[in-house]
Amino acid sequence: MGNKQDTMTSWTKPAVRGVEGAVIPRPERSAQVQIYLAEWIKGTGVTMRHFFGNVKERLLGQKRDPVLEDFDGGVTTIEYPEERRPYPTRFRGLHRLTVRQDGSPRCVACLCCSTACPAQCIHIEPAEYPEGDERHGYERYPAEFVIDELRCVFCGYCVEACPCDAIRMDSGHHASSYDSREQFIFDKETLIQLSGRDCSHETDNPRHEPGDPTYPGVTREHEH
Amino acid sequence: MTWAVAVLTLVKVIIIIAFLLTMAAVSVWADRRQSAMVQDRVGPCRAVVYVPSMLLRGALALPAIIIAGLIAIPFWHSAPGLELARMTTGFEVAILVGWFSLLLLSAHVRRTEPENGFDELVARVEPRNYFYAGLVLHLLALPLVRLIPRSFWQVRVELLGDPLILQLGAGLAGTVAAIVIMSSGFYGAAKLPDGKIGIRLAGLLHAVADAIKLVWKEDFRPKRADKLLFTLAPMLAMFPALVTFAVIPFGSTLCFNDLNQDGVLNFGDLAGLANTVDHSGVWAASQLPGSLAISDMNVGLLYIFAIAGTGVVGAAIAGWASDNKFALLGGLRATAQMVSYEVAMGLSIVGMLMITSTVKMGSLIDWQGANAWGIFVQPFAFILFFVALVAETKRVPFDQPEGESEIVAGYLLEYSGMKFGLFFLGEYAEFAFSSALLVALFFGGCHLPFLYADGIHIAFGGTLLYSLKMSHLAVTVIHVIAFFGKTLLLTWLQVFIRWTLPRFRYDQVMKLGWTKLLPLALANILLTGLVLLGIDSAGPAVQSALAFAADISQALVAVGALVAAVAFVTWLLEPTKFRRVVRSSAARYTAAKGGIKPTEMQA
Repeated sequence: MGNKQDTMTSWTKPAVRGVEGAVIPRPERSAQVQIYLAEWIKGTGVTMRHFFGNVKERLLGQKRDPVLEDFDGGVTTIEYPEERRPYPTRFRGLHRLTVRQDGSPRCVACLCCSTACPAQCIHIEPAEYPEGDERHGYERYPAEFVIDELRCVFCGYCVEACPCDAIRMDSGHHASSYDSREQFIFDKETLIQLSGRDCSHETDNPRHEPGDPTYPGVTREHEH
Repeated sequence: MTWAVAVLTLVKVIIIIAFLLTMAAVSVWADRRQSAMVQDRVGPCRAVVYVPSMLLRGALALPAIIIAGLIAIPFWHSAPGLELARMTTGFEVAILVGWFSLLLLSAHVRRTEPENGFDELVARVEPRNYFYAGLVLHLLALPLVRLIPRSFWQVRVELLGDPLILQLGAGLAGTVAAIVIMSSGFYGAAKLPDGKIGIRLAGLLHAVADAIKLVWKEDFRPKRADKLLFTLAPMLAMFPALVTFAVIPFGSTLCFNDLNQDGVLNFGDLAGLANTVDHSGVWAASQLPGSLAISDMNVGLLYIFAIAGTGVVGAAIAGWASDNKFALLGGLRATAQMVSYEVAMGLSIVGMLMITSTVKMGSLIDWQGANAWGIFVQPFAFILFFVALVAETKRVPFDQPEGESEIVAGYLLEYSGMKFGLFFLGEYAEFAFSSALLVALFFGGCHLPFLYADGIHIAFGGTLLYSLKMSHLAVTVIHVIAFFGKTLLLTWLQVFIRWTLPRFRYDQVMKLGWTKLLPLALANILLTGLVLLGIDSAGPAVQSALAFAADISQALVAVGALVAAVAFVTWLLEPTKFRRVVRSSAARYTAAKGGIKPTEMQA
């Protein structure tokens, strides 16, 4: 019979069954549409409505805040260097090394973070404190602490692994674009220099140094 | 030709080239930025120049001083017959600058913090009310100025025994305007923050940055391209756009008094610019005309068609010389399209020429100024001409020669660096020129409704409603501003076509040109001829009715422009309220921080 399926070639035949859904009628080509002029004016009206609406917003400084305000249309672009979208509190940004009261890094070079790192982007060279130092024989310090921020996958395992709250990812910075790959390799000084989002370089967790009354007292000199 | 004429011509050439280059930059900016705004994006607007605020303060205060001086000082001098015009100008300028500055200040204070009591006072008023108050004052000032008694206009003072006639009314009005301008300029300058201020000019600098980039970009040429023609093509494309502007007058004809009585325009005669001219702009036999076209030759329109026709050569040669099949296709398309639409374009304007019986651009424009604008006389021809002009400039929806979805970039394909920049510049200059041509042929050129060579006369038929005699210089300045303003407006309107219409199919373009536009243009000629025949054989009653209709058309333009401007500002200053919707955790955090608007946000 006059089945439409029969007339189809193997090229146009659907693999399983015909396309489902409502048939969209072809737009009617009335005289008004064919003349084109009226349609052109209508179209220009649409374009102008968008244009003037957006110009008004920007001209009068009425641009909507794309995060906080309802944005049904309108320019919602953030002009990045001037306007910045604050990241949520738990955003994992570039690493930073927290410091003690005296400014030295809290890190004791236990290598937990570099061990936990799935991307193997942390390189630490531990060193002993010199003879006579209060911390000598008790803890080590990182002579080198290098993170390749381009290798980092920002999983946050290093922060979880750290027993001393020495490495954090709360700097709030995302990796910006630099000129070369070398600039993404952050050394110890760079990592210490980065501050947390509250602009402090220390943490709220107290660290009990030898000599403090709160010091738990496990040293090689005072063995139990 | 005297040296004075040569120097004047050079000045006119510089003005036109500067205008075209500016328009090219503005059009590039409008094309890119405007399209972005249409699509709810920001678009390229990041190029910035940092200027010390002291320099900006100077840039605000110095022009204010200069403009104030230009208005205030000459207004005290005697100018017989122009007292009323000067008083009106002084007060109107003062009102304009006043409400506009208050509006800006109000907007500024509402955005930031008021610094003093005056700021608080200004910010308390709804910004729209400044505009409404200014509008009412503008209209009220016109009749009120006339109420100032005539004895006050001129005062005779004895200064050290010499009798001196002071233009008291005009001088005081000018001084009021000067004070308003200077105080706004200085207050604005004082409001500028210290330190470096980034200037973006709404993204206009981005077009300049792009041009600088283009100059330094690698100038690539395909190995087997024709060296000479490949280099020549951009220049050939650029050439007609620059040259055709020569015959379009950008203002009404200047009238000089022949001071040294030798019958030619010398440097000495330049100082003899006529104070006032006759109503219809006709000068005495002893006076010398100075056209504001580079060369207002009597074959003006034919010259334009002749030179514009050579524009096809640049595109064709570029397509051939590139040694690329897509480029060749583009060149061929450009050739076919431009030749086709040249016919329709030339024929569609014939009706206008039959009515004005001249092809000299100056006469065409003056006819429209004296009667009615071309768009009212030949509305049908305007549509045909406009379509043909868009096709002739190869712009959307007629941009098949460079249709990137079909033939990559057409004849521009192999061009890079400043050669491509030249094509671009030529295209936009041609674009600006096409707007200027439309203005000259259909929008009255430099003429404004009811503004004649000797001032404003609002009259319908025989009844004079309002009349204000103005100086020749003032009218000329307004005319020049009007011409360039109209061109800018029309260019801006044309840019919208690009962001509204999709590209036509190639066969549609050819069909439209040959089977629609061409017969319609011929029909328009026939119809115009019949109507002209009818009018010529009709009595004087029809003639006067036509003259009245012409006045009505002028009124339509004036009232339409005023209503559009008021509606636009009313809408622009409408206060807005946005609904705050906090959707995600990030948004909640942002809300706690106060949104993203403040710039000193921690990263």
